[in-house]
Amino acid sequence: MAKSWASSWAVNLRNIQKFFGSFFQKRTASFLLLPAPGRWPLLISRLLSIATALIFGGIVFTLCGYDTVRLAVDVAQASFGDLFGLEDLGLIWSPLILTGLAAAVALRIGLWNIGGEGQFYAGAIAATWVGLHVQAPAGIALLLMAVAGFVAGAAWILVPALARAWLAVDEIITTLLLNFVAVLLVTYLCTGPMRDPANAVTAASAHVPYEIPPLLDDLHWGFAVSVVLVFAVALLFGRSVWGYEVRVAGANRHAAEYAGMRVRRRLMQVFLLSGGLAGLAGMLEVAGTVHRLEGGISNNFGYLGIMVAALAGASPLAVLPASFLLALLLNAGIVLQSYGVSKYAVLALTGLVLLSAAVGERLAYYRLAPKLASAR
Amino acid sequence: MTDADPPCAVRLASVTKRFAGVIANDAVDLEVRAGEIHALLGENGAGKSTLMNVLTGIYQPDGGQIFIDGREVRFASAAQAIAAGIGMVHQHFKLIRAFTVAENIHLGWAETPVRVSRPQMEARTRALAEKFGLDVRPGAVVGDLSAGEQQRVEILRTLSRGARVLILDEPTAVLTPDESAVLIRNLRAYAAAGAAIIFISHKLDEVLAVADRITVLRAGRRVASLLAADCDEPELANLMVGHDVAPRGRQSQGWTPGRVVLELCGVSARNDRGLPALRNVDLAVHAGEILAIAGVAGNGQRELTEVLTGMRPASQGQVRLDGRVMRADPAAFLAGGVGHIPQDRLKNGLAPSMSIADNAVMREYRRPPLARGPVFSRVAAAALAGRIIADAHVAVPNMHAPVRNLSGGNQQRLVARREMRVASRVLIAAYPTRGLDIGAIGTMLRYVIEMRNSGIGVLLVSEDLEEVLQIADRVAVFFAGRVMGIFPTEDADGEKLGLLMGGQLA
Repeated sequence: MAKSWASSWAVNLRNIQKFFGSFFQKRTASFLLLPAPGRWPLLISRLLSIATALIFGGIVFTLCGYDTVRLAVDVAQASFGDLFGLEDLGLIWSPLILTGLAAAVALRIGLWNIGGEGQFYAGAIAATWVGLHVQAPAGIALLLMAVAGFVAGAAWILVPALARAWLAVDEIITTLLLNFVAVLLVTYLCTGPMRDPANAVTAASAHVPYEIPPLLDDLHWGFAVSVVLVFAVALLFGRSVWGYEVRVAGANRHAAEYAGMRVRRRLMQVFLLSGGLAGLAGMLEVAGTVHRLEGGISNNFGYLGIMVAALAGASPLAVLPASFLLALLLNAGIVLQSYGVSKYAVLALTGLVLLSAAVGERLAYYRLAPKLASAR
Repeated sequence: MTDADPPCAVRLASVTKRFAGVIANDAVDLEVRAGEIHALLGENGAGKSTLMNVLTGIYQPDGGQIFIDGREVRFASAAQAIAAGIGMVHQHFKLIRAFTVAENIHLGWAETPVRVSRPQMEARTRALAEKFGLDVRPGAVVGDLSAGEQQRVEILRTLSRGARVLILDEPTAVLTPDESAVLIRNLRAYAAAGAAIIFISHKLDEVLAVADRITVLRAGRRVASLLAADCDEPELANLMVGHDVAPRGRQSQGWTPGRVVLELCGVSARNDRGLPALRNVDLAVHAGEILAIAGVAGNGQRELTEVLTGMRPASQGQVRLDGRVMRADPAAFLAGGVGHIPQDRLKNGLAPSMSIADNAVMREYRRPPLARGPVFSRVAAAALAGRIIADAHVAVPNMHAPVRNLSGGNQQRLVARREMRVASRVLIAAYPTRGLDIGAIGTMLRYVIEMRNSGIGVLLVSEDLEEVLQIADRVAVFFAGRVMGIFPTEDADGEKLGLLMGGQLA
């Protein structure tokens, strides 16, 4: 009788409300909801919420018997202390920029692309296949791989986009479910058709012969491409007629239709761009870092991109600092593992940052005000 | 009433309620006795809903007193009004669609046992339904019920809370004729059992058939309280619309119709719920005229304006702009010179979270100099937005603030000015003066007249008959999605309009 329990619970809620209501009536001040947060309160609340999460995490680490200050210093040392650390950071940062940008692009028209993970894999598959089968000068081959990665990522989101635009099917569900299809597809390919015949031990494709040239030692030009794409997308949204239409459609679909905009077409284009960017991230990971297709190649970058976009408030430019923060946390996690800290502790810390950032975001909409005179 | 009579179940004594700059209720008196059905009659905006919101504790009055059974009361909240035995059945039901009837009845009710099972709730509901003679199925999910059944659940919920004063807001608007007959029979039974019933309506025949007494509100004032047996429809129409509403004539005499610019030929259309909203409408807007649409809100006006601007497809018939048959495509209507001040500016006309500047250019962003090829010039957009803001006399602290920070009146002026700029052939204006103060209303109407004088066809939807008769060249009255009549403004008078608006063919 779960249903009946639920309904009697809902009915009983009122008695609980009545009980607690007496406490709330004694407040002397109340929160005023503002129509929009100011720029500074928003920035301050963001920084405060990140700091809160880190301090809270630090307390837990201390309680667990770690020397939190020393850990923090070591993490900073490992991340910023030398070029190797910085390059490692950059290698995590760069895919997060693109997957974060992919999610942020979709959010601009008010939709959630939860499928960055799947599109990342699709891009990686296509890029690997092109890399293994095309014989061309490195530059041309890499370009073809990039195009293949982008197109595959876009193709992976095509069906959810069509379903959303014409049938109003919830894109969160469809894009999410396709992630699992992509994971299984990669596993199948790496153990079957694309498996490296020369390597009987690991389930992975053969080595892709084309590599993105390095920017420094390990860090490759993919990082520069990602950063340039951030500015390009920011320009596209801020300074083009197309971007204006997308912003209006994202802010109020009815108003966009009223103003004569082609909302469905924009929705399709935005989704394809979003999927393409995530696919491109997959291609860069194959051609720049991993050099082969293997299960787990995405490192959850697709999911983490959603977090980046949420932290960035869907602003393309803010994707850069947001993805940097996340890269820092992930990098810290790798460092901390060498001290015997569980990787789940770091994942929990990452979640804590997102949670408190979300809370801070809403709190910026409120202002503490003296209680209004009672209506009585 | 003599001293020997028992006190009225409800007595409102000069209740006044103001909203920023508008008097919604101006010293309204109302007496409702136990055992009677008392109709509250008035046009939209006459103050009926505000008055009932005061009585049910949702609003606190700015002046006046409320007496229940002769004792003065003050309600700080709706809960206090319910505790005092006042119950309201709203036009839009306040039920949880995913819950069963029994769950809805017991939700938020002090008499619900702390621990209660589903069979217990259904048994309690069945007993209540029997007691009040209402036919409901306790186990059914509310979302699956017809409007009439949902209304019975609402009434049952209200009565089960011990309501002795039952208020129904336009209760028959959602009912079939059969369901209406059942409702009215039930109401009579409750009245006979001693309840006081307030019946809000704008349908004249229904009011006369149901009510014992009738109070007419107009423009926030009580104009009359009458015995239903003593009055007839023409008298009520006159009271509701106003004797003083006589045609003032057009501001430019000797009007001759220009060419037809926008035309509906046998157009039918459905509303958002898929029900017929326009039925076989023939209507023509001429160049250089103001054609006013009069009617009680919800009789097809919204669908009319949407069909005329390409936002809603016609299920039958043709829409012609300058003789060309149009597809339902807002962009094509915009390109053809049709401006549209929409009914719901926050839903359709504006993107509330975007800046004032972004909203001001929403109709011209594709034209140079705003668009140079694919590039959107922010500088040109800001310049145009500045011009529109200045022309509209919108008080703007900062053009880049979200448009939702503007007051309703400023939003309205911004949308109106933006649309007037693109209306080179036709302006469809739905309630253009809504939310404006008296001075701004005059300015807005002057703009509309100027557009008419420059040869643009204007279709004006308004609920303010005085406004309509003041500036319109012709009036079309809508009722239940049909054109009840179209005539020159000189031939219109309050009684005729009132009868047509109430669904009576004059």
